[in-house]
Amino acid sequence: MRLPSLTIVVFMGLSVGALAANLTITQKGRAFSSEEVTIKKGETLTFLNDDSVPHNIMSTSAGNEFNLGSQSPGSSTDVTFKEPGEVVVICAIHPRMKMIVKVQ
Amino acid sequence: MSNPRNGPSALLGTAVATAALGLFGFAGTSLGSAIVGETRYLGVEQKAAASLDAMKAQYRRPTSIPFPKENPYTPEKLSLGKKLYFDTRISVSSAQSCASCHSPAFGWADGLPVGVGFGMAQLGRHSPTIVNAAWGAIFMWDGRLANLEEQALGPIQSPGEMNMPIDQLMARLNTIPEYKPLFATAFPGEPMSPKTLAKAIATYERTVVSQRAPFDDWIDGNEKAISEEAKRGFALFNTKAQCSSCHEGWNFTNDGFQDIGLPSDDVGRGKYAPGVVKMQHAFKTPGLREIVHRSPYMHDGSLKTLEQVVDHYDQGGLNRPSRSDLMKPLGLTSQEKADLVAFLKTLTSDLSPTAVPVMPR
Repeated sequence: MRLPSLTIVVFMGLSVGALAANLTITQKGRAFSSEEVTIKKGETLTFLNDDSVPHNIMSTSAGNEFNLGSQSPGSSTDVTFKEPGEVVVICAIHPRMKMIVKVQ
Repeated sequence: MSNPRNGPSALLGTAVATAALGLFGFAGTSLGSAIVGETRYLGVEQKAAASLDAMKAQYRRPTSIPFPKENPYTPEKLSLGKKLYFDTRISVSSAQSCASCHSPAFGWADGLPVGVGFGMAQLGRHSPTIVNAAWGAIFMWDGRLANLEEQALGPIQSPGEMNMPIDQLMARLNTIPEYKPLFATAFPGEPMSPKTLAKAIATYERTVVSQRAPFDDWIDGNEKAISEEAKRGFALFNTKAQCSSCHEGWNFTNDGFQDIGLPSDDVGRGKYAPGVVKMQHAFKTPGLREIVHRSPYMHDGSLKTLEQVVDHYDQGGLNRPSRSDLMKPLGLTSQEKADLVAFLKTLTSDLSPTAVPVMPR
């Protein structure tokens, strides 16, 4: 069921130091910390902006679209991937930033 | 620099509100297929301001030009590409070549606010320079073309520009006997085609590189190479004025798309990223090498002088949702503004004059 699993994500997120629960992708130097990661359907990635400039992480890959909008330095947002497949994640602002999330 | 916008109890409220939005799939401006969770503000520790030497190290010139493995450099491709670049017969009117709008005389642009196309009609945007294009990640003000090979064929076929259908161009080139052996030596075993034409032009363009400027001599340790004003300007560029957030590195760009709040209806990159707020009115950040020779400035050529450019950034531009979070009033003094302009002037090299090739007949 969708609702309980989202609730679990919310409560995990609210506790301090919950970052350890998800794989974290950082962005320092206008680059993703990994070019490719593999996760299971329903798992969550944490996108942490540890850079000195805003980023705009998003994907238009069918079934896993998302758009974090302008993410300021020092902030972190979780994204849960529901559909199996290859998700191309980019930064809308910085054309060299690209990574693949393989959802199994 | 940003600080967390909320204190701890407000943060909890924000987190819950954002998570609640997430339940309904409206978090951020997501299309709703992946689930975007709440945003946490962590105040990631920012390093203390870099030392001057560390800053300077980021601006060192590369030692070679990158050519893609799909189109490696050969002197034959270069020679053919240079002829094609300057050949006005590429346009349907036989009056315009690539060099018409990207001319060595004007910093490899054309010195006009916006370009001039077929029938002398004014185009919509300022002609970009091709200087240092070999290092570009993406092309056109709105990033719609991926590489120089693709870009070379764009203006040729565009009805507003050279207005030359590509088949008609290949037919015309076939009537110029001296082109055949040039193509044959540049691309042995391949027929003359739009693909080889584009590869030749791109190869030439990659050799158009800004030469050593006084700034480079200063980076390499010559303290007499630039004035004290310019040195102060460099420091401001990297700190208070925040220019290096987008105009970073030896070529002074990370090719990022930003709305800098210019009063223009052109949505730029936004056309290719509908629904992405920060891409509306966003344009690709140009480099700053040879900037003195490349006026007027901006995607619409609306700012005539470097002083006007610095004033624009100091003022912050139109405050609209799409404007980059980095744009805001800077509070520069008039001395600081003068220092920035003095620094920008050190990016001009003594570009050696370009010999226009003799055309194949």
